[in-house]
Amino acid sequence: MYQTIDILSVKQISIQQPLCEEWMETPLTYTGDFVRAIDPDFKQFISAGEARRLGKLLKRALATSLSALNEGGIQNPDAIVTGTGFGSIENTELFLDALVREGEQMLKPTQFMQSTHNTASSLIGINTKSHGYNSTYSQKGLSFDSALYDAWLQFRLGKIRNALVGAHDEMSPVFSGFVSKAGHVKNGEICSEAAVSALLEADSGKPAMCTLKSVQIMNMPTAQELADVMSKISVDAIITGRSGNPENDSWYSFLGSDVPQCSYKPLFGVNFSSSAIGFYTAACCLKAGRIPSVMNAGNGAVPCRSILLVNVVEGRHYSFTVLEAVCGK
Amino acid sequence: MKAGQVLITGCGIVCAIGNDKGQVLESLLAGRTGVGPLKYLKTGHTEFPVGEVKMSDTEMERAMGIAPGTPTTRTALMGMMAMHEALGQACLEKDDLPHVGFVDGTTVGGMDKSEQYYLDFIDNDSRNAYIGTHDCGSCSEMIADRFGRFKFITTISTACSSAANAIELAADMIRLGEADVVVAGGSECITKFHLNGFNSLMILDHGQCRPFDAGRAGLNLGEGAAFVVLESAESAAKRGVKPVAMLSGYGNACDAFHQTASSPDGEGAYLAMMKALDNAGLKPSDIDYINAHGTGTPNNDLSESQAMKRVFGDVMPQVSSTKSLTGHTTSASGSIEAVICILALQNGFTPVNYAFEQADEGVIVPNMKLAPDRELKHVLCNSFGFGGNDSSLVISNVSNN
Repeated sequence: MYQTIDILSVKQISIQQPLCEEWMETPLTYTGDFVRAIDPDFKQFISAGEARRLGKLLKRALATSLSALNEGGIQNPDAIVTGTGFGSIENTELFLDALVREGEQMLKPTQFMQSTHNTASSLIGINTKSHGYNSTYSQKGLSFDSALYDAWLQFRLGKIRNALVGAHDEMSPVFSGFVSKAGHVKNGEICSEAAVSALLEADSGKPAMCTLKSVQIMNMPTAQELADVMSKISVDAIITGRSGNPENDSWYSFLGSDVPQCSYKPLFGVNFSSSAIGFYTAACCLKAGRIPSVMNAGNGAVPCRSILLVNVVEGRHYSFTVLEAVCGK
Repeated sequence: MKAGQVLITGCGIVCAIGNDKGQVLESLLAGRTGVGPLKYLKTGHTEFPVGEVKMSDTEMERAMGIAPGTPTTRTALMGMMAMHEALGQACLEKDDLPHVGFVDGTTVGGMDKSEQYYLDFIDNDSRNAYIGTHDCGSCSEMIADRFGRFKFITTISTACSSAANAIELAADMIRLGEADVVVAGGSECITKFHLNGFNSLMILDHGQCRPFDAGRAGLNLGEGAAFVVLESAESAAKRGVKPVAMLSGYGNACDAFHQTASSPDGEGAYLAMMKALDNAGLKPSDIDYINAHGTGTPNNDLSESQAMKRVFGDVMPQVSSTKSLTGHTTSASGSIEAVICILALQNGFTPVNYAFEQADEGVIVPNMKLAPDRELKHVLCNSFGFGGNDSSLVISNVSNN
């Protein structure tokens, strides 16, 4: 068994500046209901030939993963666990559109292959020659939380010493319209994209951003069950998935107002991988020892050494992740 | 029963060879294939035989008491049928579900409706309700919500090993005491989307598929759903339910070779089987039967044979692929074949590798005998997916314990 699960690195590509933490001081702001991610220069991660073959989601997954592995000094992680709500939706849409409009001939195998949700986990496995545990979760906005939960179980069972855990969702103009019609994004929320990769290692002995204490997931808990969960958790601050959409925000009312609460969605938008962004921001905050003012509606920074991440999906799936600052720091 | 054991206290199945365990057992014992001409899927590709579930969506809706007009998908409906049977056998009622987890596996999700209503999604608002049933997770929610309030729901999507990986997560949850009971498996209907996708990859046989045969020319798509109820020994004893089998071990590994092809030496498959045996504390010689992934593609069957030879050497247990009976049920295959293994353990027989005729160089020779009186103790069930997502389960007999 382990003493701590250290979070060595977390990398993101989103609607904020990619692969860096500029958003903590000078975030980009947006108007409009659909904003695509800002891509980094992929050349340092992927050959030009491969970049032409791969869809956006896969390029981003590879860039954030290789970047996180590099920073954490690990080449072949024991586990690769990924979440994605829609998978490579651009290739899915291209294949589906051709199928519906042009009929069942001349369809492209590359588009079909990339439409399969586990291509990101597999691609990272192939690219890093990692033969270890490899899995992919697709449970709407709970996909990252599910992947993190799985990795946490693997650590506790002693099956792995380190894990690359991520979540990746891209959005096409056509599907962003569908998402809006389906009510996944509404009331002024920005439909966005996100790719996040986190490298975790048990008792790493390396400089870490923070440590992972626990992950809990519940479906349709009762008010009493939620109160029981909260009574066992003591943290300096809570990072929630509040977005400004009143319906979404009402799901967090059970948290009360005793502990300071901040949110990432106004800065990063909303998508099925949003909670991975929440995890990323929490790790950044614990490394810095404070939640920046930009996550606190401009009302000043919140000092913290422990954070509870709460994610509520469609008012039914609840996840609770506790992260703590590195001891003695 | 010992602490830490993961018992199977119920299972349910629907596939081309039967709408429940009784029908599936009968077909297995008779060696009767469910693969045949297309009936339910509307596609121009009528040249491909498929293993369809022999019920229309409307018939399944009626069987599950779903009001006509309720937005649902074929994947969810098949999942409900299998869930209904599994919960029934495990004596789990609505009031028990807040203590029961659910780990589902699917990749196609609601694509059957998305491909039907795609232009409506773009042009008008008439089918908006089906946008919300497109993704994998919504499918699991529909299955779960038909029965009550499960304490936990998530969905694994690792292509053709999804259901096997769902069973692995569920077992890990039980071993760590995260839950006492978890229902796990997968569901997947045939869609035009992936029929055409597999066709674009040129891995569909135009005739009946022939796993491990020298003339094998690809797979036949199938569909279906299956769930197993995994439970801790303490919980089963407390509830007074008898196990039907035991999940002794399991392993997941990545071939890390290619997105749609298996490596020549079957490294991922080899590692998955070795991990599963190690996890079960068993030797290769303890295994009495292997339900192979055996899709019928030239690549898979050769690669899997190499991997099995590396694990079992000269003492190869009986092997068969049941995909020539059921078709390749993709994301559901891991749990459909796990239930087939449970039926084989309970009834003492080795499922037949239908349609095999001629041995191939480097490829194992599968079981062709209908042998109904052979005691099995431990069986291995392989599921391999695109991306080299390879998983193996060891399922054991509990009748002598």
